[in-house]
Amino acid sequence: MAPNLTEILFALGLGGRVVGVTRFCDWPPETTGIARIGGLVDPSVEVVRSLDPELVIAFRGNPLRVVERIRRLGLPVFVLDIGRGLDALFPLIERIGRVTRTEARAAELAAGLRDRVGAIDEGLRGVEARPGVFVLLYGQGLWTCGGESYVNDLIVRAGGTNVAAALPKKWVLYKRERIVKDDPDVVFIMARSEADFARGREALARMPGVDGVKAVREGRIFELDENAASRFGPRLVDVLDRMAGLLHPERFGGRS
Amino acid sequence: MSRRAGRRLFWAAAVVLCAAGFFVSLLTGPVHTSLGDLLTFLRDPDRVRAAIFIDLRLARAVLAFLVGAALALSGAILQGYFRNPMADPFVVGVSSGASLGAVLAVALGFEASAFGFSGPGLLAFLSGLGIVSLVYGLSLKRGGFKVETILLTGIAAGALASAMTSFLLFMRSDSYDQAVFWLLGSFQLAEWRQAATIGPWIAACLVASVWLARDMDLLALGDESAQALGSPVRRVRKAFLAMSALLAALSVAVSGIIGFVGLVVPHWVRLLIGPGHRTLFAASAFAGGTFLLYCDLIARNLLPAELPIGVITAAVGAPFFIYLLHKKR
Repeated sequence: MAPNLTEILFALGLGGRVVGVTRFCDWPPETTGIARIGGLVDPSVEVVRSLDPELVIAFRGNPLRVVERIRRLGLPVFVLDIGRGLDALFPLIERIGRVTRTEARAAELAAGLRDRVGAIDEGLRGVEARPGVFVLLYGQGLWTCGGESYVNDLIVRAGGTNVAAALPKKWVLYKRERIVKDDPDVVFIMARSEADFARGREALARMPGVDGVKAVREGRIFELDENAASRFGPRLVDVLDRMAGLLHPERFGGRS
Repeated sequence: MSRRAGRRLFWAAAVVLCAAGFFVSLLTGPVHTSLGDLLTFLRDPDRVRAAIFIDLRLARAVLAFLVGAALALSGAILQGYFRNPMADPFVVGVSSGASLGAVLAVALGFEASAFGFSGPGLLAFLSGLGIVSLVYGLSLKRGGFKVETILLTGIAAGALASAMTSFLLFMRSDSYDQAVFWLLGSFQLAEWRQAATIGPWIAACLVASVWLARDMDLLALGDESAQALGSPVRRVRKAFLAMSALLAALSVAVSGIIGFVGLVVPHWVRLLIGPGHRTLFAASAFAGGTFLLYCDLIARNLLPAELPIGVITAAVGAPFFIYLLHKKR
């Protein structure tokens, strides 16, 4: 009952056995034909029941009341949490592997992702510069990721410093003056599309004060696929690759 | 039309509408089902259809009916109690008190459940009753016992509770989604055990209120006259206030705050069958249940995503309330 869980199930080769997904589950493209059970906070108990699943995988963002209601209808429900850092992704995949009896495949997937993360760590060994990063979640206002978000962990892993890391929250509304004061070297805009990214970049460039910060002056504003970066699934490692390549082109041969 | 014929017509219409409401409730939902599916199920029950028809849809319809009956009865009682047609279950502070309790439980992550009530439901019930007792206690101290004092104290205490609710929501914005359930009401997660918990209490209150209806009729003449006519005014008043608070608190505990049912339904019924409390109580309960059953049908079928039922009852109830106000002037 969450997009990241759907992605993990497909990555485990279980796509054919997924009978229902949320309306936000649009990756991989094969999810198109699968029945929709509603959203994250408003899944329909009735639709879930009608699909008669052997297992319901919920996550902590689904309302507990709904999860309990499904459980009391006699369906086996397994509730998972997302982690605070990238390291929590591997145990999550392994747990899903255990409940779906695909332990071997899950171990393989986790190991593959670990290797890729290891390669990034290796590539950044001994790096001195840790550019300041501001992540903008495109939409209303200056939403960014605080120190408790796994996106913060991605930034650190990619060899950067999240300017909003001191804020003890997952997602926070940032103040304009603080961006000016933090003067980030790089801005990542999490956007759903090219057009949104372009709009976000324009908005920053026009914002009085913000137009003077280093990242904006030097044009180091990059797009992050919101779809991949906002889901605690295998594609986070793609996002990490991209971030590391953009923050440290000298180490990763300009690949991005 | 004579009052007697009117009464007969009312009951016939109410029974037909109620039966039709239950029938449509069984057939509509996010999963497409036809009459054929229902008939197949009745002949040859299977697990999935049993869950959808019985555990989900019928349980929901029954709970909506029970809550509607409780709210309308509570409203009918309070309108008689205050001798004021604008009273409803929530003026004495039950609603604001209960929502404060629910939001507090959500904010604190209090999830324990008992008797089919969830944590927030339980706390809503207790705080709803708590605030009524407080209002009642305060009104008693202020020398003697005046209906206006209860009414005003209730409004003030309700405002205080609402302020605290808003404060909690502001501080814990992440629990907002859950809080909406309590502030606007929903039967989305209705269960049989909730119906089983509140059903007997509602039935008991209905029987008791019909039993005491004559005393309520006498109260309409004024407390002194009622006393002179042999009615134990103080005890009757206490019993009615307790019942109305209990009914409203039970409703909030299972379904969140659903406004306007308690206000408008007794009015409709009074217009149709007259002001005698004995029939008024029974008819209000029945009509209130039927009304909420239909409101819930609209709430879950109007849009692809489910609407909070408080939106529907207010959308129907508020214009009627305004109409009544202007008619009175």
